[in-house]
Amino acid sequence: MLEGINKIGDLEWEVPVGYVPDMRVPGRFFLSRALAETLEEGAVRQLANVATLPGIVKHSLAMPDIHWGYGFPIGGVAAFDRTEGVISPGGVGFDINCGVRLITTPLTEADLAGKKRELIEALFSVVPTGVGARSAMRVSNKELTEIMVNGARWAVERGLGTPEDLVRCEEEGAMPGAEPDAVSAKARQRGMPQIGTLGAGNHFLEIQVAREIIDPEAASVFGIAEGQICFMVHCGSRGLGHQVATDHLRTLEGALGKYQIRLPDRQLACAPIDSPEGRAYYGGMACAANYAWTNRQVIMHEARKAFTQVFGIDYDEMRLIYDVAHNVAKFEHHDLDGTLMEVCVHRKGATRAFGPRAPGIPREYAAVGQPVLIPGSMGTSSYLLHGTATAMQKTWGSTCHGAGRVLSRSKAKKEIRGRNFGSNSHKRASWCGHTATPCLRKRRPKSTSRATRWCVSCTKRASPVSSPGWSRSG
Amino acid sequence: MSFEELDHTADVLMRVRGATLSEVFADAGRAMFHVMYGPCKDRGIVRQITLEAEDLESLLIDYLSELLFITDAENLVFCTFDVDLQGTRLSAVVRGEPFDPARHAGGTLIKGISYFGLEIVKEEDAYVVDIIFDI
Repeated sequence: MLEGINKIGDLEWEVPVGYVPDMRVPGRFFLSRALAETLEEGAVRQLANVATLPGIVKHSLAMPDIHWGYGFPIGGVAAFDRTEGVISPGGVGFDINCGVRLITTPLTEADLAGKKRELIEALFSVVPTGVGARSAMRVSNKELTEIMVNGARWAVERGLGTPEDLVRCEEEGAMPGAEPDAVSAKARQRGMPQIGTLGAGNHFLEIQVAREIIDPEAASVFGIAEGQICFMVHCGSRGLGHQVATDHLRTLEGALGKYQIRLPDRQLACAPIDSPEGRAYYGGMACAANYAWTNRQVIMHEARKAFTQVFGIDYDEMRLIYDVAHNVAKFEHHDLDGTLMEVCVHRKGATRAFGPRAPGIPREYAAVGQPVLIPGSMGTSSYLLHGTATAMQKTWGSTCHGAGRVLSRSKAKKEIRGRNFGSNSHKRASWCGHTATPCLRKRRPKSTSRATRWCVSCTKRASPVSSPGWSRSG
Repeated sequence: MSFEELDHTADVLMRVRGATLSEVFADAGRAMFHVMYGPCKDRGIVRQITLEAEDLESLLIDYLSELLFITDAENLVFCTFDVDLQGTRLSAVVRGEPFDPARHAGGTLIKGISYFGLEIVKEEDAYVVDIIFDI
């Protein structure tokens, strides 16, 4: 383990004040001893840097998929006082509301026999995928404004989903406080042709089978059974969100002197929550988050139609279990030492994991807590978990967002040759459509091997059947 | 090529090296398009970029962000980058072609350029900068 870090529980570690200069609170992260051996010093330093930000409350946190990013570490979570605190794009990331949704179908593995390739091709034809992909859907500037304010509801009102879908999205698919004037013309220009597109990198649409039920009660509440075919969608706010982040990061970086904020890393540029710059970032970020929920809603709709076309099942038989955001800052009320406090919780590569009876989760899930979706790496299992009371106490109701990485991209390229990866995937009956070898080189199984080692309390383990998306990890 | 990919577990970390600052800026653009797309040819598409910033690092981020905007908004791929720097003022002419899935797909989408660790350093005979591209 790295020097200067204290083990304070079975899976809990503390980064004391003083690890880097000017820390206001300690850092905390959650890892087994074995996984802690792979921890990068750069990630811990980034966790400590976050602890220097004005108004941070209690701890600078990192979830078990902590790794070295920029600004906040990936897996970073921090809450800021509503009046004294700051808001930072570095705590959200460029892909605002990158997130995941999981949908069940009435099919079993046997139903897929002989039809996998047809299904993959049907999905590829309706879900534009990869760098440079463009949507078949055309939206006007006015419609884009409606999308940014109303989120997934915009799509459902046009028949691209059902009202029940909205209930099963974090924030019901639309964050309040969206401010279209805080979204630049450039961001709009990027966003208009991309609604309903998956993107590239680690984004994917994967067909899965519910392989193992570990908590039957929670599985029953979530409406999932062993052997059931599901599909999972992982993507975000596309170019619109990237531009919103780029624009506001620049503005906030220029305003640091105005608010006399000193930072150890320019990527942590921030402004007081109630400053003009802070409010503008929040308003623009909410627009991008709402765009992302619409994007996943449209993709799910097209995928449902593809399943209907290939298998003859009804659209309504494909039920959205839940949609979670990975990269977002939100105003939430949390219990701090017996007092209810409003804070701005930043989650960067982290999932909200509200426990039983927490406000803001669907009523049908209240007894067990919100569904938490953890994608594995390509070729390994994903997990459906539920939020816990412990998460509410320790992590502002948050947990990890993906498999984490143990190899860099360049090392993974050297260790896993595209040809070997392709043949291994075929042994598992996977097809990779589209652009062949280059698309296999993003997130390979060996480079993202953490998930199965720390998801020990799960509701459902899902194995991939076929992955028409690009690749994996959260 | 005067750029190389270094180890980074989450994103793409590129080390760019040039005899002059203009070369560093040109090769930073080349490195970014190398990550995103397959081989590209100059087929007559030209775009001009003019920018000014308070320091060189901000200028580099603004320049790369502008290239990202153009490639995403207009679906263009660039392969030649001529950069003229006067202090912290930049004027660049970039050339390339329209995106063609058959030749350009299969790359990695870059979402943004990080400020983290970005510092242009003057060594004995070259300028060097490490850039993290969020993918």
